[in-house]
This record gives sequence, structure tokens and C-alpha cells, in this order.
Amino acid sequence: MNEIIELKGVTKIYKMDKVLVPALRGINLKIRKGEFVSIMGPSGSGKTTLMNLIGCLDRPTEGEIYIANKNIAKLGDDELAKLRREKIGFVFQQFNLIPRLTALENVELPMWFAGLSKKKRRERAIELLKLVGLEKRIHHKPAELSGGERQRVSIARALANNPEIILADEPTGNLDTKTGKEIMEILKDLNKQGKTIVLVTHDETFAKEAERIIKIRDGRLLND
Amino acid sequence: MIEYILLSLRNLSQQKTRAFLTLLGVIIGITAIVAMISIGEGMKYSLEKQLKTLGSDKILVFSTYTYGAKGKELTDEDARLIEDIVGVEISSPLVSVVAPTKFRGEEKLATIWALEPAKSRRTFAGVSGYELMQGRWLRKGDKYKIAIGYKIHDDFYDRKVNLGNTVEIRGKKFQVVGIFEKTGDADSDSAIYADIDQIREIFGMGNRVTMIIVRTKEGYDVEEVAKKIENVLEKSHKEKDFQVFTPKQVVEQVGKALAVVQIVFGGIASVSLLVGAIGIANTMLMNVIERTREIGIMKATGATNKRIIKIFLAEAGAIGMVGGGIGVAFGYIISKIINKAADKYLGEGILVTKVSLELAVFALLFSLIVGIISGIYPAKKASELDPVVALRS
Repeated sequence: MNEIIELKGVTKIYKMDKVLVPALRGINLKIRKGEFVSIMGPSGSGKTTLMNLIGCLDRPTEGEIYIANKNIAKLGDDELAKLRREKIGFVFQQFNLIPRLTALENVELPMWFAGLSKKKRRERAIELLKLVGLEKRIHHKPAELSGGERQRVSIARALANNPEIILADEPTGNLDTKTGKEIMEILKDLNKQGKTIVLVTHDETFAKEAERIIKIRDGRLLND
Repeated sequence: MIEYILLSLRNLSQQKTRAFLTLLGVIIGITAIVAMISIGEGMKYSLEKQLKTLGSDKILVFSTYTYGAKGKELTDEDARLIEDIVGVEISSPLVSVVAPTKFRGEEKLATIWALEPAKSRRTFAGVSGYELMQGRWLRKGDKYKIAIGYKIHDDFYDRKVNLGNTVEIRGKKFQVVGIFEKTGDADSDSAIYADIDQIREIFGMGNRVTMIIVRTKEGYDVEEVAKKIENVLEKSHKEKDFQVFTPKQVVEQVGKALAVVQIVFGGIASVSLLVGAIGIANTMLMNVIERTREIGIMKATGATNKRIIKIFLAEAGAIGMVGGGIGVAFGYIISKIINKAADKYLGEGILVTKVSLELAVFALLFSLIVGIISGIYPAKKASELDPVVALRS
């Protein structure tokens, strides 16, 4: 099996007050190991829901989702947490760093959750921050870093437990074009090193960097 | 584990004012507990010391007669009756009066304990503290002689009173023939000891006595002898207008006083700890709400629900323990203040309060537990947050 992500007939329905709102309607999708995939769609199209499901943050209402051969629909909270910790690295539009912690500590966090020793965590976090070119800012807090720098920290954090999948949700959305390009370069490099990259964006130019573009509208995939 | 503590302390230091307000309840509660226990220990300690001074074989008989009421005062006759009881070694009558005294022109009220020289000497023989520093004990037939407590010699008057000096009691001149060692008991140290007959003569007291100190014979049960004394006196007085104290009863009396202290402080402590616990729970709930996004981030990066619970429990525990630490410090200060006040108003060494290491550790652990218990609900709330919803907040 070469697929690292597989969705079979996935439907997600949210319940808002007493109204049922379908976000995804019968999605079938396969993503192979090492692919660079862009998911594009207007807001409200269901791409964030799709992202959350692939990221094991949520379970489908119907259908099956296999992440590294595990059907997440059947997993408990803690098993989902373990899957997120080991297989998935998130890169968010809002960076989502913990403001009280330094860059180094933010990168260490997923490794703390994985139970790594303090020493190993520190070594790997420094190594990762070097990789994204932030070796001189490791003791800075997010507020003391520029947007681009923050996104680099969050990429370093996503790589902490050496996951197979990087999920990037509008990673360039809060950055200027130049910085956005730099971030895209980092993602492309990671893809070259064998990471599966799933990029959610509505920026056509960035989406085109991917080898495969998936368009989504009204909870359905348009073309693939 | 250290990570949790460091993280929680960092979280605490972010909101110092809120943390401090949250801590108030715990601080007051722990302060009350520490103060209470240290005073209790002090009272127990001083009680033991006083019993040692008095001796466990002593029985004290007081009159409960008050002027205008029914009943009689105690007299020499009662002391004699007691002396005939089986098990009584010696029955020593004592008169205590507060009288104007004069030394080198300085007038001051002093307490005079008047005794039968021969008997009292035997009564107190072997009792710690009643050792003579200088001179001799009173003798039968001494005319206008006194022995004085250490404080009277040392600083009761502006000038030191030495052997051979003369102190005036109600206008009569008395010569100092003995000075006692310091006993540590303020009453004993600042008393003037005189012959009972002379004092009664000067004050026109007839054969009345204030108190009878009884020493039981070795091998006899103090409580039983006390009971016999009660029966004999009641028969003679035809009513119970006196009270008989044994060391055991004194212990019970102090125990009652201690219980009052414990109820008051215990009440303050439990109410404020309850308020403290609610405060911590409230602060932690606010923290959970404010840090919802953070919880989402931690969950997205792989934190299990258990991990989130631990992080928040550690924080609640840390709040409790910091409050406990401040409480121990305040409790220590209050204990010291009470100690100082007791030294000043009750006499030095009467109430020695103490905050032991065990007490401090117990208080810290207790506050930690209060913190953790208060954190359970908020921590559970935090762990149950849906990561998708939490990240969106």
C-alpha cells in the first residue's frame, strides 16, 4: 500500500443549534506517500473540515479515513492524539505558537508529549531551528519574532517528531509575498526529502507549486 | 514532572495580580492553621513545664467563696483536716495577697505568697525551679524576714534587691534572707515569700487561707487522694464551696482552652480554605477559557487528554502551594508575634510558640492538595475541549 491518506465516502455533518449543516458530502480521496498536494476552494467549501479530518482533529460522520493504514473513525481521543503526534505535523495560518514559551520550547512541546528526554528534545529542537534558519533566535518568544520567523518556528515544531505528513493550512496567508515564497521553498524542500505535504490555500500561484491540485466546492471534490 | 511545575510557575507569573487574589483564601487558611498549631504546641509545652514546676504529686485546694455569697473561706482548720487524710504527706496553707510595697522609696504593688516556712519548704522540696540562688529559706520563728523571686531581685524595682536589703510591705519593714533561682514561671519569679502568720496579722486575716497545697505520699494515687480531700472538706463545710485541682485536672482545663483556640482558628482556616479552593477553581476555569486556543494547539501537536489534565492540575497545585508557602511565612510571623506578646504580658517563657519543620511541610502538602482538588473540574473541562473548536477560538 502506497497510500498514506485515504478517504472513502467521507461525509461530515455539523449540527448548529437544530440545523444540520453538511460540510463534506461523500469525499473519496487517495494521497500517496511523498506527494505534494494542494487543496483549493473558496471559504465555506469544506476545505478546513477536510483538513481537520486528515489531521485527525475530528472524526467523520460517515465513511472511512485511513491515515497510515489506521481507520481514524474508530479511534479514541488518545489514539488520535498519538497519531497526530507521530504521523502529522501542522503548520497553521495563525502560526499557533504558545506565546509564553520561547521558540525552542515551542518546538520541544510535541516531543515532550511524545515522552522524549529533556536532553534529546533540546538537541533535536536546536537542530530543527537551525534547519529553518533560526539558530540565532531560539530563545525569543513569538511576540519578538517576525511573521516569517514565527512560521519557521511552527514548521520546525511540525517536524519535531519526524512525521510523514505535513498539513499546512494557508501557511502563507499572513505573510508578505517574499516571505510566503520562502516558506513555500521550505515546504518544497521537505517534500523532496520524502515528506507528504498537504497544502490548503486559495492562492493559485502557490497551489500551482504542488504536483497535484484538488479543488473542493460545496463539500464535494471538483476535479483531481 | 519538573516540566509541569516549571510550565505552571511560568503560567502563574503571567498574571501576578490574579494569582495573588486567588491565593488570598489559601494564604489566610494556611496562616490560621500554622498559627493555631504552633500556639497549641506552645500551650502544651508550657503546660508540661508548669506541671514540672508544680510537680505531679501536688493537689491544690481553692475556696470558691465570694463575699456576700454563701459558704466559707478555707482556714488553717481545713489544712489540718487534710493532713489527717491517708495518703497526704503534707498540707501546706498559703495566703496570697497583692499589697503595696516600698523599696528605696519606690512604691509598687507586689504579690505576696505567705506560707508556713517549715511546711512549704517540704512541699516544694525537689520541685524544679525552687532552688535558692542566695541566702536561705524562711525559718519558723523568723521575724519580718522574706525570700524573693528572681524578678523581684533583678528588675521589679528600679534598683536591684539584694540579700540583707529591706523591703516595706504595708509599712512594715522586712529583711531579705533568700533569693530564688529563675523558675521561668512569671508568677513565681515576681512573688515575695513571707511567713503566713505575720502577713495575716498585718492584713487582719485571722486564720483564713487562700489556697492549700497538698503533697501526696509516694505510692498513693493523686486522683483518689483528691477525692478524699473533697469528701472530708464537704462534710466539714456542709457544702461544696471549694475546688480541688490535680495535675490531671489542670491538663483538662488547659485542654479546654486549647479546644477554644482550635475551634476559632480551625473555623477561620476551614472557611478561608474553602473560599481559597473556590477561588482557585474559578481562576483555573478562567484560565481554561482564556487558553482555549493553547489547549487546541497542544492537542493538535499530540497532547493526550490526560496530559492536558496533568498540566492544569500542576498549575492548580502550584497556586495552592505558593499560597501555602506564603501562609506558612505569615503563620510563622503571627506565631512569633504571639510569642512576643505572651512574653510581655504573661511573662517570659510562659507561652513558647513554635513552627516545626513538620508543620511547615504538612501545611505545604495540604495546600498542594487543596489546589489540586480545586483544579480537577477545570482540568477536566480543558481536556474535554474539542481540538477543532479550540483551535478556532
